[in-house]
Amino acid sequence: MTTHSVSLVIAGSGGAGVVTAGSLLLNAAAKTGWYALMSRSSGPQIRGGEAATMLRFATRPILSQDDSFHLLMAIDWDNIGRFSAEIPFTGNSLIVGDPAHGPCPAALLAAQPRQATLALADIAEKIEGGRPNMVALGAIAAMIGLPPQAMQAVVEQYLQRKGPAAIDASMAAFHAGFAAAADLPAIPKLPAIAAEKEPRWSITGNEATGLGILRGGVRFVAAYPITPATEILEWLAPSLAKVGGVLVQAEDELSSINQIIGASYGGVPAMTATSGPGLSLMVEALGLAVAAEVPIVVVDAMRVGPSTGIATKSEQSDLNIAVYGMHGDAPHIVVAANSVADCLFTSQWAVHLAESMQTPAIVLTDQSMGQSRAILPRPTPFTFSGQRITAPAAGEGERYQRYAVNGSGISPMAIPGTPGLAHTADGLEHNPFGTPSSQASDHQAQLDKRSRKLTQFNYGDHWADIVDTDAGPGDIAIITWGSSTGPALEALQRFSATGGKARLISLRLIAPVQPDRMAAALAGTTRALVIEQSHSGQFYRMLRAFYDLPRETRSLHQAGPLAFGPGRILEQLNSWSV
Amino acid sequence: MNKTPTDGTEVQTVPQLLAHALAMETEASERYGELADQMEMHRKTAVATLFRRLEVAEKQHLADLTALCKGVELPHYAPWDFKWRSKECPETIDLGRVHYQLSVRDAVLLALEHERRATQFYTDVANSAHAPEVIALARQFAQEEREHSAWLESCLAECSAADSKASEDPDPPLSQE
Amino acid sequence: MQAVVRNYKAKDYKSEVKPIWCPGCGDYTVLNAITRALAELAVPPHEVAIISGIGCSSRIPAYTSVYGFHGVHGRALPVATGLKLARPDLTVLVTGGDGDGFSIGGNHFLHACRRNVDLTYIVMDNQVYGMTKGQASPTTAPDWEGSKLTPEGTGINPFQPLVIGLASGANFIARVSSSDPVNMAQIIVEAVRHPGFSLVQVLSPCVTFRPDQAVWRDFVRTAEVDCTDDAARAARRLMTDDGFNVGKVLFKGSRAPYRPEFEPSSGSIADLESRFML
Repeated sequence: MTTHSVSLVIAGSGGAGVVTAGSLLLNAAAKTGWYALMSRSSGPQIRGGEAATMLRFATRPILSQDDSFHLLMAIDWDNIGRFSAEIPFTGNSLIVGDPAHGPCPAALLAAQPRQATLALADIAEKIEGGRPNMVALGAIAAMIGLPPQAMQAVVEQYLQRKGPAAIDASMAAFHAGFAAAADLPAIPKLPAIAAEKEPRWSITGNEATGLGILRGGVRFVAAYPITPATEILEWLAPSLAKVGGVLVQAEDELSSINQIIGASYGGVPAMTATSGPGLSLMVEALGLAVAAEVPIVVVDAMRVGPSTGIATKSEQSDLNIAVYGMHGDAPHIVVAANSVADCLFTSQWAVHLAESMQTPAIVLTDQSMGQSRAILPRPTPFTFSGQRITAPAAGEGERYQRYAVNGSGISPMAIPGTPGLAHTADGLEHNPFGTPSSQASDHQAQLDKRSRKLTQFNYGDHWADIVDTDAGPGDIAIITWGSSTGPALEALQRFSATGGKARLISLRLIAPVQPDRMAAALAGTTRALVIEQSHSGQFYRMLRAFYDLPRETRSLHQAGPLAFGPGRILEQLNSWSV
Repeated sequence: MNKTPTDGTEVQTVPQLLAHALAMETEASERYGELADQMEMHRKTAVATLFRRLEVAEKQHLADLTALCKGVELPHYAPWDFKWRSKECPETIDLGRVHYQLSVRDAVLLALEHERRATQFYTDVANSAHAPEVIALARQFAQEEREHSAWLESCLAECSAADSKASEDPDPPLSQE
Repeated sequence: MQAVVRNYKAKDYKSEVKPIWCPGCGDYTVLNAITRALAELAVPPHEVAIISGIGCSSRIPAYTSVYGFHGVHGRALPVATGLKLARPDLTVLVTGGDGDGFSIGGNHFLHACRRNVDLTYIVMDNQVYGMTKGQASPTTAPDWEGSKLTPEGTGINPFQPLVIGLASGANFIARVSSSDPVNMAQIIVEAVRHPGFSLVQVLSPCVTFRPDQAVWRDFVRTAEVDCTDDAARAARRLMTDDGFNVGKVLFKGSRAPYRPEFEPSSGSIADLESRFML
């Protein structure tokens, strides 16, 4: 049977090459014209541990992982139970295992999926240089409708260095698996796409973040590695060298955040990337950047918290620290990407906002977007016209006021090296000249200024993505943010297909809050469903604090690392439509 | 790197002497001004007033000297290349020797000490110079410094008992950050 | 040799803001020495930046007419590092105290010496936390009982900044006394001129919380050794000196300063994007 989407998992351990298999499959799917979303899960070992690659393929752009998987191809069963919560099955799912490794563990059988066997190791052994993971790929290809020539091209590229013999061996194993799949029960197949509808990219959220940063104009990065943000920095290192910029490895996050403040004070847009624990260390300096009015961008690729938490998994629980973390009243920008592609846009936008308003911007992404690879439509390029307002050379007589109190709250910033405008930027409260001041009037004036510059800024339509069902918005709103947007959007699509009416509001601008815009978006709604991946419902509480919500508002929140499936959200929408 | 103590024997030309004098007066006026600022900041009016008066006097002296230097090409000396024994200019009060509770009398004594050193420097130059015009100028400068000393000596004589006591402060120090 | 154009006098590097330091504080002479040094270097004020952390000595930037950044406690060195790496054209000085630099800022101190960016770090060491009313600092002697936090003394060996700076890779090491501001100016000139990370420790008494330090002006002596470029020799000297040998550069290394390239090597953002295209 054909469908528009198929989801599968490849699992194995100890050198089974699960991650490689997933990448090859993804690349072959790309060549076939499909869209894809790939993520991974693993044990704690750095090498050789159990691993699972989750893939979803579709003939149109993919918003989210599905509610369940159609297929599990298990190269072996080693500790596969650790993944059971992350790979839900239904009665229609198919689990294929290698009989040489024994029966499927009970942990995976709760939903009573169909089962079958495929002697991967045996088949591989009969081929010189053949490996079980290639046999598995062949079987998968046959089952989902992937043309073998797509895999041929990918394998040729992948094994180019190892020579034709290696390529042939791999493809032989692939074809053996392809043929053996004829004996397996069926799962949904995807049609091949005849012609390329639009240009597509293969990109991860972390790569997209890095690209957005560069597009925004950042040319100085201080880096301290931390999972799951390290790839952002590792992508930026050679990229900055290419386009002209500097990446420095710092000794800790306290250094990286202060270094970017220094570079930005010197006139070069600067950023760093981190995760929750690093953001905690950076909070003091973020307050310094607010007080001294120095633009910087900090990307927080959220992991499961609190504290060290689960570094390799995703959660949306750094909202509180991002918005409220600094001591004192320290208004600043917090934006959140809501998809792999949106990591690019939102990071670029964050640079624009930070530079325009001379303030720190925190970008919230997460492990699930950051470390997932998507085949998606090429993102629309955006250019932003806003940029840092710098002070021109000094006029005669008047002493420069770095923190001049004016209508917009944005005072022109003198770049070191400019004659006549020397000043000291300060974390101490100060008067308009920057001289430290303990006067109530100066503190009031500067607080008002730093607040005003954010609240009076025109954020345009980017503050949120608002999507309605085909039949119009109706009286139900889904309010969400970040990676919960994907499943919510897919749920909305399914709801729309049945004639349901609802509006999805995915907040991109978390701070400063936009009560007027939200009120307009919620006009006519009487019920709202707030969705987030947080044990305590951080987003829901923030909405309650700052926004007027419809009479009946429900909070759907859960801790990471399990994401919401579209089906669960759809259930909530349907229950309201009765 | 060491400051080799000299006794002014290396000041042999008028431009050299003028350069030294200019540095001396500039630094003295700036230093008295700094000390006046410090004392004003710490609300020590009497001592501040004393230093301010000295600053004004030195500035006048500096103005006269600057006029004298017009048209003369002066050699440049790095601060460590000047030919006096002291670390800074002889007339400059060492900042490490003041205290916010400094009494007026002690301030006068400090200033007097330095004015006398300035006098001594010019005297040394006069004694070791060869060119008559250098000798004459050095003697003139020495005389001007003596006038400053004389004024300070009269201040000393006028010091009351109150002026002689270090000022008290019952309040403990405060933390600011 | 070209004559240096001297457009600026020492006082041109001072701002109108009056310092709040206690009269008698060593920081006044450091401010004077810095301004004298800058005048000798003839670098325009707008091409200089002074970065500081928190503490009495960290107030220096506001008292100068150069660009300044007064950051948070212990973090001056990374701010200066970022600034200098982004703007290698500027002359960047870092000023701070022993608490800011060697306690909370200790890790950054190690790595700044190690990284060897072209900076000059002037530490005003008064062996006390003055701004917060007189606690022991990392350089305080273990038996100093003047702090309410450690009324019986810390009992802990003091931090040796020059030894540690040398071991971490500082390229220029000197110790000066605030009782000799002209010598200090001369050393600062040399420190700025020497490429890489230059460390200048200033024995700078705190007149309010360490009045016992008044004797420092009598204890200090001109170091009898000449500057060396031999790290091992410098290490031996520094480990055996009593902390009062001043007035000279003690070590001058020849490490190349850390200075990554900013110029594009090849390519544009479009090139980067093409790598994502299928």
